[in-house]
Amino acid sequence: MPDKILLYVCIILFSFTGFVSATNYDQYFPYIPSAQYYGKVILNNYSTKASVAPVVFDHWLHRAKFTCRLCHIDIGFAMKAGTTEIKATDNMNGYYCGTCHDGKREIAGKKVFDSCAEKYIAEDEKRCSRCHSKMNPGARKYNRETFTANLPRLHEDLIDWEKAEAEGKITPADFLEGISFEREPLKAQDDFSIKVTTWASDVIFSHKKHTIWNGCELCHPLIFPSSKKGTIKYTMFQIMEGEYCGVCHSSVAFSVYLCAKCHKSPVQ
Amino acid sequence: MRNVIFFTFMSFLFLNFSPGNFLIGNPDNAYAQDDWKQEYSAICANTQNAMALSIEKLQTLIERCDKLQGQIDVLTGPQAKTEKKVFTKRLKMCRDLYDFALLHKKENK
Repeated sequence: MPDKILLYVCIILFSFTGFVSATNYDQYFPYIPSAQYYGKVILNNYSTKASVAPVVFDHWLHRAKFTCRLCHIDIGFAMKAGTTEIKATDNMNGYYCGTCHDGKREIAGKKVFDSCAEKYIAEDEKRCSRCHSKMNPGARKYNRETFTANLPRLHEDLIDWEKAEAEGKITPADFLEGISFEREPLKAQDDFSIKVTTWASDVIFSHKKHTIWNGCELCHPLIFPSSKKGTIKYTMFQIMEGEYCGVCHSSVAFSVYLCAKCHKSPVQ
Repeated sequence: MRNVIFFTFMSFLFLNFSPGNFLIGNPDNAYAQDDWKQEYSAICANTQNAMALSIEKLQTLIERCDKLQGQIDVLTGPQAKTEKKVFTKRLKMCRDLYDFALLHKKENK
């Protein structure tokens, strides 16, 4: 009898191994990038058509200086790469990238370089390629390795942004003169637990931690369309596919592979 | 002499009342242009405490959002296309949040 059980166990394990080896994970899970590419966005709605290189946007550089809310609510960048459909004229009109990159605005005592222009001379190409740098990465001014060298790490090369702010190593701006407006003080909702039906421990979700950088309208109702506890049911597969928590925690905020960051009470 | 006075007078009229009067701005126009932006800021200033607002207040804010969207839809001028794109999205985020909060309030009434 024990031999039979052993045999069944072996068959099950063998079948599972076969399934795993035959599975192309890329088909089922999104490509979760390594830390150096975390949040890197390539923008090419119009660049190639306009005979310029696509824009490489370094999320790590901007998030070190600004809160999520400032760019995604006040300036209005969409949460999904490429869906804002930024045009050079938008920037020239002082919106999107042009909100800061207008050649006049000063941030942390430095004048921010101008973005797009209707006419430009050969000398300007150096400035253009700071953003339109898909074919010329060397034209970018900031290097991730040196820029983030001083910042605390979560795991391997993933930056612990929360700790970085707590230690005063970054001070993300939350207000941009002429763009942001005075808001009523934030009233964060209570933390709550999310019941997990698998082997993992429940999640304690901290509203406070999320609203401090995001505000409310970044998540509701766009990402989480219901406020009634338990009405939205989602799986880790969906999260890894970039839905729900995965909108940020698959490419920008800490990785979903750091299970204990969420599946722990209280959340860390 | 009369010709000079006439020419000066006509120039004055042209510079002040031609489209985009560039020497002496028309304050009424400037205020009218900014009115809708001020209204946008006033409406969306409540997003951070949306869940604490009353049903009536939320309904009023949603109505104001819809009214403002109507104004944004008919914007004209050199920046209109960009402004429509930017503010339609920004206003929608506000409106959707108020709608979300309103639904929550009604469900928990």
